[in-house]
This record gives sequence, structure tokens and C-alpha cells, in this order.
Amino acid sequence: MNDRMRRIGLAVLPIVLAAAVAVLLLLAVDAPPLRSFNLVWNGSLGTTNKLADTLLTWVPLVLAAAGLIITFAAGLWNIGIEGQIVIGAILATWVAREVPGEAYFIIPATLLAGMIGGIIWGLLAGVLRVYGKVNEIFGGLGLDFVATGLAVYLIIGPWQRAGVASTSGTDLFRAEVWMPEVGGFSWLALTIAVIAVIAVFFLMRGTAFGLKLKAVGANNRSAFLLGIPTDRYMLAAFALCGALAGLAGTVQATAFHHKLVPSISGGYGFLGILVVLLAAFRTAWIAPIALFFMALSVGSTQLSLRLGLDSAIGGVLQGVLVLFALLAGGVQAKRHLGKRRVAGATLVES
Amino acid sequence: MALELVDIHKHFGRVRANDGVTLRVEAGELHGLLGENGAGKSTLMKVLSGFHEAGSGEISLDGELLALRSPRDAIEAGIGMLHQDPLVFLPFTVLDNFMLGSGTNDRGIAAEGLDELSDRFGFSFDHDTPVRRLTVGERQQLEIARLLWLGARVLILDEPTTGISASQREQLFATLKTLAAEGMIVVFVSHKLEEIEDLCDRVTVMRLGKVVGETRLPVPAEQLVEMMFGKIIAPTGRAGSSTGSTTLRLDDVVLGSGLLNTDATSLGVSEGEIIGLAGLEGSGQRLLLEACTGLLEPESGSIALGDKDMTGLAYRSYHEAGVHYLPAGRLEEGLVSGLTITEHFVLAAGASDFFVDWDAAADRAAALIEEFSIKGTPDSTAESLSGGNQQRLLLAMMPPHIRLLLMEHPTRGLDIESADWVWTQLLERRDHGTAVVFASADLDELLLYSDRILVFFAGRVIKELDARQTDGDQLGHLIGGRSVA
Amino acid sequence: MKGKYWAKFLAIITVLAMLAGACGDDDDEVSGEGFTFGMILVGPQNDRGWSQAHYEAGEYLQEQLGATMIVLDKVNGADRPEITVDQVVDDMVAQGAQLIFATSDDMKDGIELGAANHPDVPMVWSSGDSAWADGEGYRADLDNLGNEMGRMYYAKQIAGCAAGLTTETGNIGYLGPLINDETRRLANSVYLGAQYCWSEVRGEDPAALTFSVNWIGFWFNIPGVTLDPTQVANDFFDGGADVVISGIDTTEALVVAGQRSDGGDAVWAVPYDYEGACEEKPEICLGVPYFNWGPAYLEVTKSVIKGEFAAEWNWFGPDWDDLNSLNTSGVGFVEGDGLSDDSATALEEFIDGLAGGDIVLFTGPLNYQDGTPYLTDGEVASDHQLWYTKQLLEGMIGASASN
Repeated sequence: MNDRMRRIGLAVLPIVLAAAVAVLLLLAVDAPPLRSFNLVWNGSLGTTNKLADTLLTWVPLVLAAAGLIITFAAGLWNIGIEGQIVIGAILATWVAREVPGEAYFIIPATLLAGMIGGIIWGLLAGVLRVYGKVNEIFGGLGLDFVATGLAVYLIIGPWQRAGVASTSGTDLFRAEVWMPEVGGFSWLALTIAVIAVIAVFFLMRGTAFGLKLKAVGANNRSAFLLGIPTDRYMLAAFALCGALAGLAGTVQATAFHHKLVPSISGGYGFLGILVVLLAAFRTAWIAPIALFFMALSVGSTQLSLRLGLDSAIGGVLQGVLVLFALLAGGVQAKRHLGKRRVAGATLVES
Repeated sequence: MALELVDIHKHFGRVRANDGVTLRVEAGELHGLLGENGAGKSTLMKVLSGFHEAGSGEISLDGELLALRSPRDAIEAGIGMLHQDPLVFLPFTVLDNFMLGSGTNDRGIAAEGLDELSDRFGFSFDHDTPVRRLTVGERQQLEIARLLWLGARVLILDEPTTGISASQREQLFATLKTLAAEGMIVVFVSHKLEEIEDLCDRVTVMRLGKVVGETRLPVPAEQLVEMMFGKIIAPTGRAGSSTGSTTLRLDDVVLGSGLLNTDATSLGVSEGEIIGLAGLEGSGQRLLLEACTGLLEPESGSIALGDKDMTGLAYRSYHEAGVHYLPAGRLEEGLVSGLTITEHFVLAAGASDFFVDWDAAADRAAALIEEFSIKGTPDSTAESLSGGNQQRLLLAMMPPHIRLLLMEHPTRGLDIESADWVWTQLLERRDHGTAVVFASADLDELLLYSDRILVFFAGRVIKELDARQTDGDQLGHLIGGRSVA
Repeated sequence: MKGKYWAKFLAIITVLAMLAGACGDDDDEVSGEGFTFGMILVGPQNDRGWSQAHYEAGEYLQEQLGATMIVLDKVNGADRPEITVDQVVDDMVAQGAQLIFATSDDMKDGIELGAANHPDVPMVWSSGDSAWADGEGYRADLDNLGNEMGRMYYAKQIAGCAAGLTTETGNIGYLGPLINDETRRLANSVYLGAQYCWSEVRGEDPAALTFSVNWIGFWFNIPGVTLDPTQVANDFFDGGADVVISGIDTTEALVVAGQRSDGGDAVWAVPYDYEGACEEKPEICLGVPYFNWGPAYLEVTKSVIKGEFAAEWNWFGPDWDDLNSLNTSGVGFVEGDGLSDDSATALEEFIDGLAGGDIVLFTGPLNYQDGTPYLTDGEVASDHQLWYTKQLLEGMIGASASN
């Protein structure tokens, strides 16, 4: 019981500390802390409109994070996820622009195209890693650059819109392509995200595939000697993550921007890596953590608008909270180690 | 002057890498530290050079007690360590590397220091050459000069002859002899008998984390071998060598791993036969095992299982043909840290279904845990098990029908009970026709369980012995590289 | 309690005094007290460039009218991927904004959507063409969305002239951003200014002037995506140019020229977009063309306060009587220290010529780069022809379109 209390205390302490630091920070820039928290809350989750906006940004982030759960399980740092999002968006855009059809046909088509784009780009990183012995971090970074370059090229080149605002993106898609909304909520995008998180949760938890993937990630050599085709599993991880990233890109293009823009990925791939690390690779945690991130991002806009705070303040707050979460994680890990060491010592003495 | 270590304990989890080590090294003597890989030599030297903090025990130099919490403490106390791979910064120049850690920025003084030391030992360096262009031997020389310049009074060399040429080795030995003669404390760590015999005035032998003996040199080689491997107490010869049909056939197989190349080896292993591979660690046993399981493709020659030519096929083909390989590193090359016993059994069963019936899997795991007397629960993770239980788990994970079982150090690190249990299992398999090839550093084990023993030395099979007609002395001689008349 | 009361009293007095000062000489007597406007910036509000110019215009409105500004900067997909312009419009309206400025051409879709969502709130999309009945992007349905843009092509002609007067090698480089109608227009303007002053003022052979354009791909350097402007500027100088004129938001051209000048080369540069841009290396800066949005924004705001706002497309020009007047000139050019006295005199004459209408550089015959006629003999370019510039001009080296 006592131990349990202490554990809870240890989990809550960093939150309290982070909140305290956030208050100090706000006081330092002459912002009333309570009002600030209230503004962020009302500007992100507290009102129906803002909740809808925030959830739509949550979708690509949580999709990316769900994909990264898979690659991390396989022991891979899929830095190329940004590029996978971008290529997914590009393929979805191509379908949106070039393929005629009604909503019931064209929307699934864009989703499929986005997944295919992400899979191709994911597999490229995978092939470089598995057959070319190129570390997936470097290969992924390179592929990110290529993907972004391709998006920019398409926007100011072949898909350039007429007249003014040529760099802002392609022309808006026709209305049939836009993901449907009800009461401001992009229900289809939300459904996709929820299904994806649940699917990844069960994939990693209950299936032979997930188990083998974990074995490959935790100990490639042992897994290989156990007869698991490790190369194929790594490629599969890249492909699955790419598919989810491609979906994220599709949502960005067809539900959020309604066009292809140069920074279509929104940086959600890299942010997703942070989300997964903070969640300590547990699928169930990525949903609330991603929501927290996006609520803070969307909500902190109000600090600039209403209080005239510098636009960096939201990012600084986010950084402080992340730092404390990591510190707390570190402290717990250290405590854990310490315990084991004590246990070891007892064992030797006895 | 003398360096003294008293009752040093260093444990990693349950592994007692150093278990009450006491050692005294006098100045002016070249002191060797001999032992098989895993005997605890490197751990001891890392404690001494501040990389690891000892769990308990005292270290003193010249009667003064030292508190070594970091390599910096050690170097300040005058203890310098030369690693297997010298810690140099490859893109930097010779002089830059020489100055590292010295706290001086005066290149002139450093250059003088380097030149003086180079003259003394017959090194020759161009100050501005990037260290990348130096051979490993030259990097060692530079590192020795650097440590001396930093004021080292104790020089520790951890397996320094790996990767340097014969002439560089001669030069290194000459340097060490000079240093010792000048009153320096020099500790030379090696698992190579010959080198210790060549170089050292005195040797301490370690086995299983303990000091098992110390002697002035020279002494007969077999005495050192006995210290390294333990006294042979077991009788030789045992029942049941089978002469069934051939399971494995190697013809003129030449292997190479970059570091070590083997001579052409031919070998036939019959159903139900047990072959022991003896030799100092790294003499070619592992290459042979890896070749027999498809992990290492031979440079020439052929490998066959039964009637089927397997040359050039991949691990999976061997695996599917009933070859099972259990390397020495149980947590590195067998089990998966973080996964539970249940999950290991699911993996080992090669589950082909997408969904796993976890309840059934847990039941099966519980049954196997009982059958194989594993101390753990279905939810225990692999790394939480002791070495013996890890080995039990690995054996429990083996498929029921195996044609050829290849093992490295089947009982290393196990208590007697677990070791006996392991061999009971293996012999039972053997009785059902499984051919077993195992490498071991335990002469008892080799003599007790093998039908035939192949003795490796420097990549060559120097002798094939009938285990019933040999004894520990002969085997010890052969392992040390001395042919027996 | 007492202290607070006094503070409030003082504040009111101060505001009143400021208002009196600000509005004293204003004939319209319009007060913006209690009026709130929103300012959406694409970059940081202190970017020493495009966005700062808009932000300062907002501050100018606050000073002149006593109005309140709500500002949100860095509204672009990279810095704020989580919000869109129309969402910002929603927020600003909810906060009481009665007029909203969207200050980048990139904000087209967002501000058009925002304007449609809030038909009662006047808005301005700067550098757009949605309110221009003759324009290609005309949106007759959005009668609450006006456009403001400065006739920068004049200041660019002046910049070109300064370069044409100064160059010793007869080789001028233009460091372009991305390629569109606006950037082609400005590149052409620089070229015409340079060509005029090189041949008409200095009497040199027109064919002896080399004028090259190199586009980096965006308004500023994005490593891995755009060309590196520092590299491009160096390439110009290596290729024989001695003046590089910048069309991008950042000052690489001036920095590179400064380094080369320190190394003994006779080279010059012209930055862009910010009145104080020459400060980085004044002695080799020939001057800088810049926008001053204050006067135009003040007009719009007054019209909204008076309830007379009409969605108009306003392409405002410089005040030729006082090119750098904060209160009257929408487009300016500050001469740099790098301009010789003779050149400065010649440049003044050139400016006078532009002012008086004696010099109209966009007069035919002018051909596009591929030889097709742009303006026939004697034809003066219309606003439409200027705004929608489809190619670089004949005689210029460089790409007219991204491929």
C-alpha cells in the first residue's frame, strides 16, 4: 500500500513540477497563469469547435505514432516517416486531381493511394537497410529530403496553380474529395485513427506477427537463429508504418488542407517519434499523449492572440513539459535499476 | 613499489565476474594474467583502471589506498591502461592524440616529450600524420608513450597482441621488458599461453572469477593448462558410442572470417555420435560450428547432411533440415531479453497462425517449465532467469526431432546440478539418434562425453583423438599447441 | 486601491493625449478608439523583411487611430501545421476583430474561406487579386474582401538603375526567389531600370550588358529544398557580375558582396524588402527598395470605421514628392552608401523622370524571352499586363518558368 502511494506520488510529482515551472514561466512573461491555462483549454478542447479542430490535427499525429510503434518494435528508427507522410499525400493528391468519381469512390481511392505511397517509401528505406546495409536513420533522412523536394517541385511545377499564391499549394481539391464532416468533426478521419490505434494495439499484443516483430527488434540474432526471417519482418514493419504514415498524409491533404502544400507532413512524423518515446513504446498511451501535444499546440495560439505573448511560448511550454516527463521517466528507470542492484547484492550476501 | 589488490568483488547481476580476487604485482617484474575468455581478467583490469567500480575490496599502490571511480582517477593515481583497441581519435594527428588528457596546450613541450620517449623506445612518429594512417601496432606505441608521459607508473595491457604483426609484437615485448627493468609495474593480460611464457617473469592464473594459482616462470606448460582449465578428475570412457549412418559430412572445408582462417578440414559425424571440439578460445571451433549450421559459407569444400549436399545453403535450410545451433551467448544468441517464457515457446514452435491462443500457450509453457525444472513462471522474462535456467529454457525450446545439435560451451557458468541435467538431456537426445558437436573449454566435459575430440590450434585441427584413449595431460598439451610424441 | 485608480487615470490621460497628438492634424477626424483589427503574418513579426513591414504598419495604425491590434505571426504550414488561416480568422472575429489583414499571397484559400464564413467582417488580402474585377482571380461573391499591394516595380526599376549606373563589368545578377507573375514582374523591372541607366544614361552599348536571373526556389533558404543563396550569389560574382540584386527576403547577397569587398573586390549589392536592410554592410549597398503598408492600411481602416468599406483592389504607388515618407509613400527606396555621388545624382534624375512620367520603362516594343511580343511599339503596359507577367523579357538570361 505504502509502496503504491509512493509510486503514484512519483508519477504525479513531475506533473506538479512541470505545472509549477509552467506557472513561473508564464509569470515571467507577465501572463496570468490561470487565465492562460483557461485560454489554452478553451482554445483546444473546451469548446466543440476547437475540439473538432484539435482532433483533426490529432489524427495524423496519432497515425504516425501508431506506425512508429511497429517500427520501433522491430528495433528500427524510422526517421523516414516524414517522407512516407509526404509521398502518401502526393499520391492521394494525384488521385484527387486526376481520377474522376463520386465521393463514395474517390475518398477510398485517395486513402488507398496514400497508403500505397507510404508503403513504397517505407519499403525503400527498408530495402536500403536490409539489402544495402544503409542505416535506416541516414536512408530515411535522405528519403525525407527527396519526398519534400518532390512535393515542392510538383507544387511550383507541374501542379502549379494559376495566378497568385502559387507557393501556397495546389488548387483546392473538388468538394467530393474532401473527407466528410459532421458538425465540424471529421468523422471519417477520426474513425480511421481510432481503428488504426486499436489495430496496432492488438497486433503488438496478441498476434504471432507482433511477437516475432518484437523478437526481431529486441534481439535480431536470436530471432534469426530461432528461424524467423528477420529481413522480411523488418521490411513488413517498414511497410506497415509506411501505410499508416501514408494515411496520415492523406488526411493532411484531403481533410485538413484540402490541397497539397509544401509542408504537408506538418512535422507530425518527427513529433510522432517523441510521442512514442514518451509513451515508452506502449500503444495505449500514444492516443492521450498525442492529444495532449495537439491540444497544447492548438490552444497556445490563444496565448498569442489574447495575451499578445510571443509565438514561441507554446513551444517553450511544450518543451518544459516534455523535459519533465523524460526526467520523471529517467528517475523511475534509475530507481528500478537501483532496486535490482540492491536485490543482486542481497543475493550475493546470502 | 608494488600494486596490491585485495579481495576484489565485482558482480554483474548474478554473474560473479570477480569473486574475491587478491593479487600482488611487484615493480620490476613483468607480470602475466592468464585465463580463458570469461575468466574475469578483463573485469579485474577494468576495475583497476577505473572503468568499473569494484563492489568491494581494496586497491593500493605503494601502500597507499586508492579510490578509483573513473578512468581519470586511475590515470591520476598513475595507472595507465592500454586497451585492445587503443583509444585514439583517428582523424587527429599523432601529436594531438599524444596531448589528449594532458591538460597542456603547449605543443612544443608535448613534441619534446614525444620525441624523447620515442628515442628511448625506438619508436618513430611523424607528429602531423593523422592517426588513421598508423597501424594498430603504432597506435599502441603512441598510446604507451602517452600514458608514460601522463605519468603512469603502472601499465596494464589487455590482450595487446591481437591484430598486430609479428615484428611489432617483438618490438612491443622489448619495450615492455625495458619498462619493467626500469622499475615500472607492468601487467600483461592474455589468454595465449605462449605469449605469457615468452614474456613474463611471473604469472597469475584466473578461472571463473577467482585466482587459481600464481607461479614464477618458466614452468611446464601443462601446469598452466591445468590451472586454466582445472584438474582433470573425471575418468575417461563411457558407454554408448554409436556407429549409425553418417549425419554430417565435411570434405576439405576451408573457412575464413577475416580474423582467422582454417585449414582444410574433413569430418564425418554419425548418428548418435558426440564430437567434442577442444582448443583455446578462438582457434577455429566457432567457425566450424557456424559452417555446419549454414551461418558461414565455406570458401571451398563441401558440406552434406545425410545424402543431401548443403554447401552454400542458408541457415534456414539447415534449420529446416533438423540442424539446431545453440551458441554460447544465451541471452545474445538464443533468448530474447524482454520476452517471457511463454512467448519464447510460442516463437520456438514457429507459430504460423496469425492469432495466438495465449491461454493454451501459457498452459503449455507451464507444463514445459515443470518438465524441464525451470525456476520461473510463464511470465518470467528471459533475462530474469539464472544462467542454468536460461540453458534449461533453451533446451526446452528445442524441437523434438533434431538430426544434428551444435553447441558452444553447453555448461559454462552453470552449477554442477544444472550441468549434469544438461548432459542428461543431451545424452538422451544422442540415444535417440541425434548427432552432437560441441565446443568446450572444460576438459572434463570433453573427455567425459565425447566419442571423438578434435583439437584446434590457430585455425587448424591438429589432432583427432579417440576420447577413450586419451587423458587430460595429453589434451592439455595439445591445447597449448604442443604436439605429443 | 488608490494606486490602481491613479494608474488608470494616468493611462486614460496618456491615451487621450496621444490621440490628440495623432488626430490633431487629421482632417477626417476619425478615431479608432475601441476599434480592433487582426493582423495575420506569414513570418515572424521581427523578420526584418516582409512580415515586419506589415507588423510595423499595424503599429502605425495603433498610433494613428488608437485602435487595438490582434496579431498572430508565423502563420504558415511549417511553423504552425496545426492551424489554418480560416481558423485564425474565426478566432480573431470571436475576439472582436472588425477588420482582418491577411498579409501573404499564400493565404489565398484561407482568407477567401474566412471571408465567406464571416461576410459581415471586412478583410484585406494583401498582394491578392480577388477584388479586382478585371483580374484572373476575381471573386465577385466576396464583397467583404479587399486587396492591397504596392507598385514595387517602380522601386525595383530604381534599384536596377542604381546597378546599371554602378556596374563596371556590365554584368548584373538577380537573385530571384520562386517563379511566379509577381517575381517575374519585379525581375523585369530591375532589368529595364538597369538597361535604361546603362545605355541611356551612361551611353554604353545595350548589348554589352549581361543580366542574369537565378531562382533559388523560395523566399528564403531552406537547406536541401532551395538552392543555397550564398552559393548562388558567389556564383554570380565568380561569373563576372559585380552587382547582385536580391529578390529574396534575406540578405545573403549583401553578406557575400561584403565579404568579397573586404577581400578587395569592387562589388556591390542591393537587398530587398526592409528599410534598414543596408545596415548590414552599408558601404557596398546601393540602396534598398521596400514596402510601406501604413498609408494604405490607414485608408482601409478609416473606411471601415466610417462604415464606408468597399472591397477594392488597390495597387498603390510611391509618393513621388517624398519617396520615403512614412505617412504618404507606399513604396520606397533608400539610397545606400555604396552609390557614388555622380551615380546618386543620376539616380535622382532617373527618379524625377519616373515621377514626371517622362520615363515609362514598360513601353513597347518589348518582347518576352521567347520572342513573342509583350508590348507593341509605343504600347504602355496596362495594370493587367504588369500584374500577370508571363515571362522574363528578351535580353535577360534565366528561366521564365520552373520546369
